[in-house]
Amino acid sequence: MSVTRREFFLVSGLVGAGVALSSLGIDMGPAKAYAAELKIDKMKTAKASTSVCAYCSVGCGLIVSTDAKTGKIINIEGDSDHPINEGALCAKGAALFQTTAANPNRLTKVLYRAPYSDKWQEKSWDWAIAEIAKKVKATRDADFVEKNEKGEIVNRVNSIAHLGSSNIDNEEVAALNTLVRSLGLVYIDHQARI
Amino acid sequence: MSKGFSILVDTSKCTACRGCQIACKQWNQLPATETKQWGSYQNPQDLNADTWKVVRFADGLDASGKVYWNFFSDQCRHCMSPGCMAESEKGEIIQNEQTGAVIFTPKTKELNFKATLEGCPYNIPRQDPKTKVMFKCTMCFDRITNNQIPACVKSCPTGAMVFGERDKILDLTKKRVDELKKSFPEAKALNADEVRVIFVVKGDPKKYYEFAAGK
Amino acid sequence: MTNHYIDIKNSDCILVMGSNAAENHPISMKWVIKAKEAGAKIISVDPRFTRTSSVADFYTALRSGTDIAFLGGMIYYILDKNKYFKDYVENYTNASYIVGEKFDFKDGLFSGYNPDTRKYDAKNWAFKRDDKGVPIKDPTFQNPRCVLQLLKQHYSRYTPEKVSQITGTPVEDLLKVYEMYSSTGVKDKAGTVLYALGWTHHTVGTENIRASAIMQLLLGNIGIAGGGINALRGQPNVQGSTDGCLLFHLLPGYLKVPRASQQTLESYLKGNTPTTAETQSANWWQNYPKYAVSLLKYLYGEKANKGNDFGYSWLPKAEDGKTYSWLDIFDEMYAGKMKGMFVFSQNPAGSSPNVNKVVAGMAKLDWLVHTNIFNNETASFWHGPGMDPKKIKTEVFLLPASCSVEKEGSLSNSGRLSQWRYKAADGPGDTISDGEMISRIVLKLKELYSKDKGKCPEAILNIRWELLDAKKKFDSHKMAKETNGYFLADKTLKDPTGKDIEFKKGSLVPSFAYLQADGSTSCGNWLYCGSYTKDSKDGNLMARRGKEDPTGLGLFPNWAWCWPVNRRVLYNRASCDPTGKPWNPNRVLVEWKDGKWVGDIPDGPWPPMSDKEKGKLPFIMKPDGVAFLYGPGLADGPFPEHYEPVESPLPKNLMSAQMNNPVIKIFKSDLDKFASNDPNFHIVCSTNTITEHWCSGSFTRWQPWLLEAQPELFVEMSPALAQEKGIKNGERVVVSSIRGQVECAAMVTPRMRPFKIDGKTVHQVAMPFAFGWLFPKTGKDATTNLLTPGVGDANTMCPEYKGFMVNVKKA
Repeated sequence: MSVTRREFFLVSGLVGAGVALSSLGIDMGPAKAYAAELKIDKMKTAKASTSVCAYCSVGCGLIVSTDAKTGKIINIEGDSDHPINEGALCAKGAALFQTTAANPNRLTKVLYRAPYSDKWQEKSWDWAIAEIAKKVKATRDADFVEKNEKGEIVNRVNSIAHLGSSNIDNEEVAALNTLVRSLGLVYIDHQARI
Repeated sequence: MSKGFSILVDTSKCTACRGCQIACKQWNQLPATETKQWGSYQNPQDLNADTWKVVRFADGLDASGKVYWNFFSDQCRHCMSPGCMAESEKGEIIQNEQTGAVIFTPKTKELNFKATLEGCPYNIPRQDPKTKVMFKCTMCFDRITNNQIPACVKSCPTGAMVFGERDKILDLTKKRVDELKKSFPEAKALNADEVRVIFVVKGDPKKYYEFAAGK
Repeated sequence: MTNHYIDIKNSDCILVMGSNAAENHPISMKWVIKAKEAGAKIISVDPRFTRTSSVADFYTALRSGTDIAFLGGMIYYILDKNKYFKDYVENYTNASYIVGEKFDFKDGLFSGYNPDTRKYDAKNWAFKRDDKGVPIKDPTFQNPRCVLQLLKQHYSRYTPEKVSQITGTPVEDLLKVYEMYSSTGVKDKAGTVLYALGWTHHTVGTENIRASAIMQLLLGNIGIAGGGINALRGQPNVQGSTDGCLLFHLLPGYLKVPRASQQTLESYLKGNTPTTAETQSANWWQNYPKYAVSLLKYLYGEKANKGNDFGYSWLPKAEDGKTYSWLDIFDEMYAGKMKGMFVFSQNPAGSSPNVNKVVAGMAKLDWLVHTNIFNNETASFWHGPGMDPKKIKTEVFLLPASCSVEKEGSLSNSGRLSQWRYKAADGPGDTISDGEMISRIVLKLKELYSKDKGKCPEAILNIRWELLDAKKKFDSHKMAKETNGYFLADKTLKDPTGKDIEFKKGSLVPSFAYLQADGSTSCGNWLYCGSYTKDSKDGNLMARRGKEDPTGLGLFPNWAWCWPVNRRVLYNRASCDPTGKPWNPNRVLVEWKDGKWVGDIPDGPWPPMSDKEKGKLPFIMKPDGVAFLYGPGLADGPFPEHYEPVESPLPKNLMSAQMNNPVIKIFKSDLDKFASNDPNFHIVCSTNTITEHWCSGSFTRWQPWLLEAQPELFVEMSPALAQEKGIKNGERVVVSSIRGQVECAAMVTPRMRPFKIDGKTVHQVAMPFAFGWLFPKTGKDATTNLLTPGVGDANTMCPEYKGFMVNVKKA
């Protein structure tokens, strides 16, 4: 993953790469967007990872910048080397930063809603995985159809459905497919249908 | 004044994807304002202290009854002789030599907002109601002095926005207007000699935005 | 897409129909505008004047659900005015094939229809074949039973006047589009079609696309640079998840799901492996057994052997002819027959049609497992509008997932380009990737089934799960390599030139050409074989960043990796004449030069078809090697025919006595209500997506910048309709269908116009479906899909979100 920059268009002589704003006689002060440490300076030491946009299927390239000190994502913009988008992004792509940990609306805990309850409870992963596996096994074993009405061996479960997903990676799709077929599910679908 | 930089905004290529509007917020980490659906795709309805770039949407019927939908990615024009600076005596507003960017500093809270706004032909300056500091596009001053093009220009997919040295942008502008005139005889560049952010429109600028070509 | 996004720049005429590329695939417009700058014409056909229309050279409107009429008129225009590309049509399509005597078409019905089963017997549509099974042809196209003549006969009913009467498009606009687009039916011009959900979201969705395929084949626009039929797909990895086949009817790589009548592997393979008597056909699907057995070896490893049918019996068998689709799932659920459901990263309580039925169904589940990065209307259905949590037993597990930049893996865009993305940071709190969740569930199930056997434990215990990294976490590289496939034994095989080539046990298979049906190879998805070819990370071709573009056509062969075998344009040998010389010397996609193909990776190594001994026809996935103008494989007939949507503003179909697609499945629950030609619901409505939100908005509504840009649900309507209803721009209105109602803001705009249909004024409105009740809180349910009908396409079961009937009133 080598990232090269060819940001400038119609520019030959630059103002001077990496000039500190103060040296240009500009006092930005504590104005918004110019906090104590300037984002542009953080960007110089940030780790750059290439990624691909999470929305439509054009497959635009992204550069994700992760702050060297905090390990947090500080900026996401288009990948100028990417042959499809050449650095461009639409409204959704340009907002991708707000899907990251920076967005306080993100789910951060396993949530569980008990039967007839009117609230969520926070749970651990170990508890959730054990409970889910138990329920899946109980339903599967109770409703497993070995033979259909014609006496043909069908080894399937009609009472568990699966939807998803066109929003996970290919490797996750492969894992999920392996899971649902091993369970004997036949009601299998995802967003491609709708 | 050095030649500095300019931005061409060729509205004939704009598809209103609004990448620029959000890229501005993303780079500058500007908070969202609360909006409501008011019968238009345009939101926020106007520029504000936290919105320095807004895509304006204007639809209607032309003289022949054909539908149009014009998009105007509005922002500070970074004027060659900025009207907003008339009131600025103590460096509240700066016009940077090397780039030509016109920059509102935190000291703008000392300025008379009404007078500053009136000085701008394009209705650009906005004031934070709490701090009284004024805000608008900085031409991504931090980026352009660090080897990166403005965030809005970078996000533009169709080449509707181009950033570069002023003389080259002027050449490109002329070329685009000549090209467009073949299909749209009324096509023109808006105040190219007076501004650094030069909008090219296919026809009557009022059909884009009231102050597209100035008050 | 047969082609790819960058290739749009090579086009001379771009028909954007059934798609609103500028709003839903904004960056595709980079290449549309590039084409325009080079002189291409852009045509936008849409009921609504959109952001795409705003940059089109020509725009016209049609009533939702009348695309086949519109395109049928185009097909007739092309044939009647002799605009078709004769050499292409003669050599590469079934235009010359003679259709058997049993095929017939009368007043909206093809022969072989059984009104009791609501199905056709497609045997009636077969070609006439000689005693060897080779189709009988008439290359002069004189025989009245040849495909070209039947095609002409079928579409001669689609006159501009008739089409205009149905679509509401003025005759002069129709002729303008037909003239502009059919100008690409020559050697040196390319026309492309950009479509999306605007074509698939109909009860005739598949036939919409078939109609465009017929048009493109007649004009010689398939397999060429700047051409193709290009589905702009709606989600980041919808292509990859379709290739991976998280679908009821398919296994990975578009292999068929085993059906109950296929009790042995032999019968399954026999039923799915096509044969051909056409000597020049490659009939690529003859390799089906290699891909199927390699998939079984991926699944079950050493547990799978010849003696046990490679574990075939452990795979579930679906009933013959039965659908288990999205719509079926919620119908079963509402009937109380479902106990549990997994929902990975999506929001069916916002995106399904007829949402009232969906949430009523979910309230009958015992358990629901849902993964996502934000909460949504699906996870929270139990406290949604009209729900009483005290009465709902459903246990819900809401699992917090990593977002796209917090995990590593590949995803495939519409152009079949599989690209690798990297992890940039850890996610917040307890988030983990979906892959890791799946892995933990699988390992826990294996643990449970090894302790307490339960039912058919082999199916779970025998699946291989060697997918963990050193930290015992799901390793996407390992999975990618399993998908690519391994040699399971030392093997000596022939390369394409006939030379021996040796492979070692444990090495990655370099191409699907080397996959075997004897159990000596494994492969999770044959289409992705060749994507990860060495154990080291530089073997991951999906991560490549090569910027070379040797053809200048934007193929970028060293950027990431594209299935199949890095071929960027499908059926590319059709871009050449039968001797291998490009039709268009200015856009050379592939060319037969000095005994080999140069350019893009060709559709197979064989010489061009003028070599009668070794040459092969270009449409290698079709048994007879040619493309189908006449398509006897679909549920609703070999030629697309106009039928009205299930809910129509009209009392009758103006084309025939058959009102709706005769073979669609109609669900019978009390919540499946329809209102056609009903004065209470007299306005056509179509749902659409907007740039600022993604699908049901379950990600984007939680993002302040995007919510700021599009904060609330709205309905777009014409000034004429607004005046009729006394509605002003921006006012609150109620939109209702027979199934439900929503409140939203009115957007009154000249971009919407009423249609004149058969002399009558028909209004149409448009609504995005990106909003819901959970967030932002408005106190009202803004779920557009409360309105939409739960009825699907005859072939795909894709719902009819476009073209259903509503009413609009002031709130």
